[in-house]
Amino acid sequence: MNLNMNSVESLVAQIQGLSSSGDDIAHLHNLLKQSEELLQSESTRLAVVLAELDPSKHSLGYLYILEACTAAPISKEQANEVILSIARFINECAAEQIRLAPDKFISVCKRFKDQVMLLEAPMRGVAPLLTAVRKLKTTSEQLTALHPDFLLLCLLAKCYKTGLCILEDDIYEIDQPKDFFLYCYYGGMIRIGQKHFHKALELLHNVVTAPMSTINAIAVEAYKKYILVSLIHLGQFSTSFPKYTSSAAQRNLKNFSQPYIDLANCYGNGKISELEAYVQANRENFEIDNNLGLVKQVVSSIYKRNIQRLTQTYLTLSLQDIANTVQLNSPKEAEMHVLQMIQDGEIYATINQKDGMVRFLEDPEQYKTCEMIERIDSSIRRIMTLSKKLTTMDELISCDPQYLAKAGRERQRFDFDDFDTVPQKFNI
Amino acid sequence: MASKSYDKIADICDDHILQAHTLNSARFLWKSIPSSLKESRLEMVAVWKIGQLLWMRDYAGVHEAIRGFNWSQETRDLVASFSDVYTKKMFQLLLSAYSTISIQDASLFLGMNEDDATNYVLQQGWSVDPASRMLTVKKQPVVTEQKLDPSKLQRFTEYVFHLEH
Repeated sequence: MNLNMNSVESLVAQIQGLSSSGDDIAHLHNLLKQSEELLQSESTRLAVVLAELDPSKHSLGYLYILEACTAAPISKEQANEVILSIARFINECAAEQIRLAPDKFISVCKRFKDQVMLLEAPMRGVAPLLTAVRKLKTTSEQLTALHPDFLLLCLLAKCYKTGLCILEDDIYEIDQPKDFFLYCYYGGMIRIGQKHFHKALELLHNVVTAPMSTINAIAVEAYKKYILVSLIHLGQFSTSFPKYTSSAAQRNLKNFSQPYIDLANCYGNGKISELEAYVQANRENFEIDNNLGLVKQVVSSIYKRNIQRLTQTYLTLSLQDIANTVQLNSPKEAEMHVLQMIQDGEIYATINQKDGMVRFLEDPEQYKTCEMIERIDSSIRRIMTLSKKLTTMDELISCDPQYLAKAGRERQRFDFDDFDTVPQKFNI
Repeated sequence: MASKSYDKIADICDDHILQAHTLNSARFLWKSIPSSLKESRLEMVAVWKIGQLLWMRDYAGVHEAIRGFNWSQETRDLVASFSDVYTKKMFQLLLSAYSTISIQDASLFLGMNEDDATNYVLQQGWSVDPASRMLTVKKQPVVTEQKLDPSKLQRFTEYVFHLEH
């Protein structure tokens, strides 16, 4: 069999002949694996060969050859051509074929992303990478290694809205932890850009609380943004971590984010002048982290927080008093703030211009409209699905020999009564 | 980018700005449009001016920006319908946020002169106090669908039953 694998020409013939049925493709896959060395040594001639193949029919073979011929360093003059040819392949290739060699496909796509970034044309990569993600993933629950790259290009190209389409899927399957960290971090930034602060908090929270044995830079940056978004959206920040947070994160995150912790403390005092002074004094820190824009949003959100606090104490208050308490210059400014908050549904109030008063009201929602019931129902159903998933995962883990071996050993040490219930045969 | 896509971009800009919830996307779209293109298309700049004022919530400024540009034939209708939608939205805002408001402020929000604004809100059942030049807002009762589908009730009963046992 190896006899006819000694030249690129014969390999091309094999690719052309063995790309139709599933069995043939499996056979071809073996041949391709065996010819990797050949492809490496011949990489300079391969570009010509590609012309003889059809990316949509011979996707697997095309992929192997494309991967080999883009492995060498690419000059700036070639970059444009490489980008075009990879983009064309991504668009035309057959998903079921490239899924047989996910590593090759990922490596080609990553080179594509690198070239697009070198040319400083991230926008050119957005659509092809979205296609690549969609072709590579087998279910919407799967996180591929291309998810973070796609989101990164969306951020760089300011195509925030395009990024949302993969952020709406719930992810349950993760291969590499780093992909998950980056996916949530970039995803959080896209949600911030879209001002979906609630969703951004969720994603950043995932990074901060994800299992990690040592602290990593992504978690640190995510924690900084988490603090800022929490202040903007919730008007407060709690320094305590949920108990499922890894000890590495609990021990280290705060030390790496001291200016942000101090900012949160200053915010908590509710004095706009102090907050502004603090930001001014630490401007450089925030600038280096590229967070100054968010910090500015934190500063302007303090009015909102302070007005919201007033609604908890007073039923009616004059615009003048509001202006005085939250340190605004005039009753008119206070009126505009209150108006915006009413518009955004952040408070319930009516302004009486005649008397210069604001009346704070209760939330008019009575939880009995059809719409609300529909929402409650869909939440319950989502939670039920999630709970089922958890049970399945729990069962899988409790049947896992590795887990049982470890858990068994540890339990013996602590509790002699449990001794009998541990399956001994796994205890080797 | 090909020159024929210029007009398309202007249209997308218009569309985005028309819907307040995609205003943010319009902001990013604007940032990603090459600056040479921005300089050459005065109308697009004028549309984005409206977008900026919306973003800054300069309520009265939006009306001024709409009036302050000589719109071309193809955008005129779009801008006019936007202006319509925006006025209605402002009226709803006043309705939800104020119990009394001066005629002067109401006219700024609605983008009309004081007489037109007064007539507009009087038609909606508001009343006017000529001495203080104040308008009293008449709240409209909110109509919501409250009739419950029996199958929903059945399902909720099952949830609760499940939780209690």
